[in-house]
Amino acid sequence: MRSTPLVCLVLAAFTGCGGPDLSTEEAVTELLTPRQQLIRVSVDLRGVHPSEADLAAVDANPGLYGDFVDEYMLDPRFRIEMEDMYNRVLRTRTGDTYFDPAMAGLDPDDLGVADSIGTEPLKLIGHVIDQDLPFTEIVLAEYTFADSNVAAMWDLQRESGSGWTQATYRDGRPMAGVLSSTTLWQRYPSSGVNANRHRANQVSRMFLCDDYLTRPLEFTRNDTQDLADADPQDVINQSDTCQSCHSTLDPLGAHFFGFWWERDVDSLSAMRTYRPQDELLWESYAGRAPGYFGNPTTGVRELGSELAADVRFSDCAVETAVEGLMQYHSNDADWSDLQRHRAAFETGGLVYRDLIRSVVSSDAYRAKSFVDDTGERIPVVKTVSPRQLANIIEDKTGYVLSFDGVDALRTNDMGLATLAGGIDGRFIVNRSYEPSVSSAFVHERLSQAAGFRVAAHDLNPARTEDATLLVHVSVNHNPETHRVLFEQQIMHLHRTVLGLPIEADSPQIEESIALWKQIYSVTSSPTTAWAGVITATLRSPRILFY
Amino acid sequence: MSSYKITPPARQAGRGDPSGRKLPTPRGQGLDGLNPNFTRRGLIQSLASCAAFGALGSMGAISQNAMAAAADRKFLFFFAPGGWDATPLDPKYGVGGTDMDPNTILGTAGNLTYSSGDDRLAMDLFFQNWFDRTAILRGINGHSVAHDTAELWMLTGQGMPGAPDWPTILGTSGAIDYPMPHLVFSGPSFPGRLGAAVVRGGGGSLLDLIDGSMLGYADQNAPVHVSAVDTMIDAHVWREGKRFADQYTGLGRVRADAFLSSLEKTTELEGRQFEAGLRGRTQSTTLDQALMALEVMRLGLTRCAMIRIPGSWDTHDGNQGVGPQLDEFFGTLDAVMAHMSRTPGSTTGYLADEVTVICLSEFGRTPRFNGGQGRDHWAYASGLAFGAGVNGNRAIGETDDSLFSMPVDFATGRPSMSGDIVGSENLGAAILEMGGVDLNQYMPGVQPLSALHGGNV
Repeated sequence: MRSTPLVCLVLAAFTGCGGPDLSTEEAVTELLTPRQQLIRVSVDLRGVHPSEADLAAVDANPGLYGDFVDEYMLDPRFRIEMEDMYNRVLRTRTGDTYFDPAMAGLDPDDLGVADSIGTEPLKLIGHVIDQDLPFTEIVLAEYTFADSNVAAMWDLQRESGSGWTQATYRDGRPMAGVLSSTTLWQRYPSSGVNANRHRANQVSRMFLCDDYLTRPLEFTRNDTQDLADADPQDVINQSDTCQSCHSTLDPLGAHFFGFWWERDVDSLSAMRTYRPQDELLWESYAGRAPGYFGNPTTGVRELGSELAADVRFSDCAVETAVEGLMQYHSNDADWSDLQRHRAAFETGGLVYRDLIRSVVSSDAYRAKSFVDDTGERIPVVKTVSPRQLANIIEDKTGYVLSFDGVDALRTNDMGLATLAGGIDGRFIVNRSYEPSVSSAFVHERLSQAAGFRVAAHDLNPARTEDATLLVHVSVNHNPETHRVLFEQQIMHLHRTVLGLPIEADSPQIEESIALWKQIYSVTSSPTTAWAGVITATLRSPRILFY
Repeated sequence: MSSYKITPPARQAGRGDPSGRKLPTPRGQGLDGLNPNFTRRGLIQSLASCAAFGALGSMGAISQNAMAAAADRKFLFFFAPGGWDATPLDPKYGVGGTDMDPNTILGTAGNLTYSSGDDRLAMDLFFQNWFDRTAILRGINGHSVAHDTAELWMLTGQGMPGAPDWPTILGTSGAIDYPMPHLVFSGPSFPGRLGAAVVRGGGGSLLDLIDGSMLGYADQNAPVHVSAVDTMIDAHVWREGKRFADQYTGLGRVRADAFLSSLEKTTELEGRQFEAGLRGRTQSTTLDQALMALEVMRLGLTRCAMIRIPGSWDTHDGNQGVGPQLDEFFGTLDAVMAHMSRTPGSTTGYLADEVTVICLSEFGRTPRFNGGQGRDHWAYASGLAFGAGVNGNRAIGETDDSLFSMPVDFATGRPSMSGDIVGSENLGAAILEMGGVDLNQYMPGVQPLSALHGGNV
């Protein structure tokens, strides 16, 4: 698997290999160690580091990597990570409820309602991925998903069971997976003059990876003058510039007049009920019948079928997976790699796990370095999301940063997730992969709190549970009298917290002991000193990056 | 795609690389106690390199070396998402092509004209007080009538995502390395590849993070380390981060370096929070946010800030709300300028000579009312600039009776048949010039609307 890049590296010195003609896969010059690879894939697929047993196993037999990939994709947390990845596409987790939850009999102060609402279409996508259904099911499904909040807000009939279950809209709307989601069309509303074009563009952006708004356009002064003086719809229909987008955009938008809720915003029923009687309103607005890039359609169900049959739909799914997992924007240089992943995706019948497996098994995903040009474009250092950071710290220490029961990093209810580099789905729609002052503060405070809690627990002579991290030392030990125990403890911290063992003569041991002494000299508290050492370990770049 | 090469010699040299990305401030000043630029940030590196312990009292002041005025300037941005009506700042009374809001009349202050009315009295107040420091911007082509795309155009000069916006570029291009280069209180932000420069959420959460008080009211609460201990831990983490960063090149190295840079800045903020007096300030109003922004600018913690102008500016369904919204906003602006004119700056006598205020929206609105007495989207926008370096008491840019942008001479801002239409990129280039940014690095070939500063850069 590694022969091509290495050969290329050798040839580079003689032939100029390494230039833009290299595929991403060929541009890899060094892979991560097996242990680092497993950490990377575990964070991406489950949001946490692997166990030490898993790491030791892959250390002993690197060939187990693929087995762990399969195992991690069966972990319940895999679905959560996939939902999070698609939230960056759909951007529905905005914290909005769109109308007062009290109108649906819910507690208006319950922040969980907004989380539920924003998650509705994502749960369907997560289900399709988790159940190995063809990915086209996300635009074909006859059902959606709901918990009790969503069922009450959007008037859904849930299957029996607690939590999230399959559900159907009581209004009998035509179903086409997420294309029929009330959450999606509340998130992307359309005013009258807009004739659902905003929604049409979102469908194109989300499922075809083609955002009309990024198309370069040049308007003549006559075009603009006409827009002011004449009927804008006539101008749009007659202008070549306008038609370059509107000829396909307007027929897409014509599918969504049944979801046109804006006129009765004070009525709960009007805000959530599909209106078949409005399906023909396109005649009065854009004047373009429903269609899909030249093919006439009869409604949103056929739109779903057309999307599912469009080769760009699967291309876009591949692009979303690659960019989501590798944290960069693909371009033409990635074409051959994307095609390889697409082939793997299609061979199994558009099962998303096959696609994920293809991506995370590639050398490019597991790279520690690339040739220069590619390394400037594709990061070999990946940054955890706020959710992953919270997961990792909780997994290592048991600590959860929450306020009045609201998770501070796995929701954005307090704004901390955006401070930590996440998105809010509305104003901040792209993750920030470079650490910033605010994300550094979040990491610092989270680590501090976790460090204090672990030290206070583990060094409590009266504790009855097992120690969380401080398994070799007690409150009565100090580095002068129990040097060996301190060394063992710090090695244990590195292995269990960072997943990377250090040798007995590693400088990190001396540095951590020095830190302990420094803090102790100021505070005279072994608990505070150990809290500081744990905090420093949790603040390692090896927690933030993977 | 933009990229930047990081090479060890450039890094050690200090302030920049060939692509224009500014690298961290030169390090290694040591603990000699003689360096006037010694800061807490420097301390963590010194502690990291020598594992020393002591001298913890020597934290604080940012350099106030004499520097070019442009590079010392700070920028406070206000932005009205939704596309605000251009006519209040570009009035067209008595002409056929444009409908003006009912019950308004032409207001004048110095050479400036605007729409005046009982529902927007604060506009009169602001312009009467500050017309000589204020320029009205007219006929700025936002290149789009789609909100998202036009926001990009207005703040980055491009229609494609990925480029940093004006405040982000300015934040990373100042005379000093600011702990919070661009502080986004609210409103849009396009960090592009300079994400580490953007600090989001200037509100209460950030303050509670800075001083650690947040941990006190967490469900699983915890104390905060005392300052000295915090600095020791910072030094330890910095050393680990440096070791980590040294393993990587390319974009991986950029991220690792951003980790180090952010760590240094958090350390400095922790050390200087007492100076800022940030506790106890509320963040509930636009004025609160603006005063907070000015305070952190005065202290040298921030170069740029972005604040959303509240209100519903996307007035398809009726324009009647515009006047009261403008009244509230211009009341805020008047208070901001009054505060700036009496508050000492960090490099000048008063903040009014140090802070430039820019007010924008992504586009304008149609000159004629629609059937609902509202206005629809219009590509040509108006804006406002006042404060440090602004060529005041003039309108810059011009529109005709139907609110179409007219060609202007970019040096004077006045109509000229040999001139050109002002685009958002021209305005942005001028703003960057006012901040001492080399346009060749960010906007090569773009002609700045130099009338904005009148050559005073």
